[in-house]
Amino acid sequence: MRNWLVILGREYKTRVRRRAFIISTLLGPIIMVGFVALIVLFSQSQETNSKILVVDSSEILSFSINEKGQIPSCFECFPERDFLEYRFTTEPISEEEFLESDFTGMLEFDDGILQNSKALLQYETTPSMRVKSAIKRDLTEAVERLRVRMESDLDYETYKRLKVKIGLVTQDVETRDRNAENKSLVGWIFSMFMFMFIMIYGMHVMRGVIEEKSNRIVEVVVSIVKPEALMGAKVAGIGLVGITQILAWAVLSWLLFIGFGTYAESSGMLADIMIESGNTVSSTDLNTFMSSHEDLSFLMQINWLAMLGWGVFFYLGGFALYGSFFAAVGASVEQESDAQYLLLPVMLPLIFSYILNIQILEAPETTLATICSFVPFTSPITMMVRLSMGVPWYEVLISAVILVFTVYLMIKLAGRIYRTGIFMYGKKPSLLEMLKWLTYRNR
Amino acid sequence: MTITQPLALSLREVRKQYGDHLALDGVSVDVPQGSVFGLLGPNGAGKTTLIRMVAGITAPDSGEISFFGSPLEQSHIQNIGYLPEERGLYKNMRVGEQALYFARLRGMGRSEAEFELKDWFERLDVDGWWNKEVADLSKGMAQKIQFIVSILHKPKFLILDEPLSGFDPINAQRIKAEIKRLRDENGTTVLLSTHDMSSVDELCDNVALVNQGSKILEGRVDLLRENARAGRVDFKFKGNLIAFTAALGASAILYSVHSSENHVHDMVLGIPPDTPIEKFLKWATKEVDVLSCSPKTISMDEVFLRAVKKAES
Repeated sequence: MRNWLVILGREYKTRVRRRAFIISTLLGPIIMVGFVALIVLFSQSQETNSKILVVDSSEILSFSINEKGQIPSCFECFPERDFLEYRFTTEPISEEEFLESDFTGMLEFDDGILQNSKALLQYETTPSMRVKSAIKRDLTEAVERLRVRMESDLDYETYKRLKVKIGLVTQDVETRDRNAENKSLVGWIFSMFMFMFIMIYGMHVMRGVIEEKSNRIVEVVVSIVKPEALMGAKVAGIGLVGITQILAWAVLSWLLFIGFGTYAESSGMLADIMIESGNTVSSTDLNTFMSSHEDLSFLMQINWLAMLGWGVFFYLGGFALYGSFFAAVGASVEQESDAQYLLLPVMLPLIFSYILNIQILEAPETTLATICSFVPFTSPITMMVRLSMGVPWYEVLISAVILVFTVYLMIKLAGRIYRTGIFMYGKKPSLLEMLKWLTYRNR
Repeated sequence: MTITQPLALSLREVRKQYGDHLALDGVSVDVPQGSVFGLLGPNGAGKTTLIRMVAGITAPDSGEISFFGSPLEQSHIQNIGYLPEERGLYKNMRVGEQALYFARLRGMGRSEAEFELKDWFERLDVDGWWNKEVADLSKGMAQKIQFIVSILHKPKFLILDEPLSGFDPINAQRIKAEIKRLRDENGTTVLLSTHDMSSVDELCDNVALVNQGSKILEGRVDLLRENARAGRVDFKFKGNLIAFTAALGASAILYSVHSSENHVHDMVLGIPPDTPIEKFLKWATKEVDVLSCSPKTISMDEVFLRAVKKAES
């Protein structure tokens, strides 16, 4: 046991202090968040203030004139924003004239809008999502006002009071879980990480074994500890490296999230977004913002601690399972390039669960998904998606027990291939031969 | 030949088969305590298999291995030092750290290991290398580190498989001196496998020769040599060759003769085992002008070659 820990310690220490590991651990979440932020920033900086010319040739908006030129009767429907301003005209302009003007977009306001609720926005540069949604909101209000005005006994304020907007919250009858399909996206991201980490660190195991074999260090180590113990300690040590990175990423992302929240709160960015989307709020902190925002509220309903806890468990299980496979493959070859064809049977179930995941995302509760969340070769990946949506606890437990049992069996089997493989030099074994090694008595 | 010394290692009828290949076919070997025991044999003779069994890496299909009187088991591993023929170091570790790792695997505490390592690093002139990357080491340097790592925990029994390969003559001499010192000062038993016969002549007290999975020769080096000499003497004289050979008659066998100017003749003679060399010399001086007479020196190389040839025929 002592030696086991010494080996595990070496595997762990030599890896976590590598520059590549430190950099990827520290920068991983920053790069991910930064990537998203960059896209947002980029699209915003691209956003030269939009100036939209509303062409109202049928004078539906019934204009008056002031110092800014023609203004519509429902002036309040088209508020001035720092990123969007409107100008109005009753005289249509030609395309050439439009292109020469400083307008970024031209909007035809005609009967079609009233009848079909569709408006045509012609542009010179593609308008951003923010501009488009603001224009949509403004037009909706303008059209509503026009329609209300046609009803003689209704004023707009009364109408606004009467108007409701239905949001759809979905609930799974069995699990009483809400907004399951949005949550499955979170599970999917978890399982993608799972896939990624098992692959990356599984390859680490394989490379480590090949190094020991081709350097012949294994001969000395195996004279001190049993080959199975060496393999186990190696898989465990490298598995812990993965856990370290996962936890570091989790903590860093959480810190970044909190940091961003505080910044967004204090700078008034949240309040701006909420007002912009038509909500009036007295206080805006990140939590109220998240839970009031329809696309984000599901994030608050996810049991992050359970996700992370089970995530770590299924990662450890899945890694032990695949890691010992990778070790057995590594032991059977002398250089990495020889490992390709032996890796195929190891990779197939992994890739299968990856592809399956995309399908599960669309239809989370198919029989296939349920079965795969019990099969130990796919469960570490598949179960994460189901977990995010809520799974009865006994199903998770059964899946966990099956996984642990299979891991035990696989380590035994892979250990047999490993202990024979590490002393085989000079020939590339076939899969059939490797299976034969299972029956060899070495000690 | 009887061995009165207590045994460090004893193999009895050890057999090991890999698939269709019979690696060891009922080999028995006795290694006396506190001796350097040479394990010799051509490539593929089964030496590595035998060594791996003693090192606890594989087990025999049948037969017994006893270690200081009791059956060899996992717990004996801490008393064994092992330097394999094919050896390497982890490239992504520093020299000192790596030596510490192996010392700790051998059951040593950190501070004890550091203390011993410092001592050995100085002794073998690698003390400036503690913080160097393994990738920067020359082959000889790496060999020294591997040697240190295999003996650091002061094993009672040391297995050295080709310990001198990769060393220049100066460092090879140094390692040989260390091996002798371990035997003489610490009472360490050394199982030495090598193709370098000069080091066998110099270091080994006993040897066993294996060929094609079987032991074909075993014994004390001096006795084996004496045996192989088979009464041969190098004899040099000045005088009449024909008269002398006639005088010899059947009392000695003439193996070879080389004559040079001035009637000086160099010959290898075989005298009967019951005739002491002094008696022969006394007789010869009466016949001719004897220039020199000494027992023929037989190198282990010759012993080895002869034994293999004999076994193959």
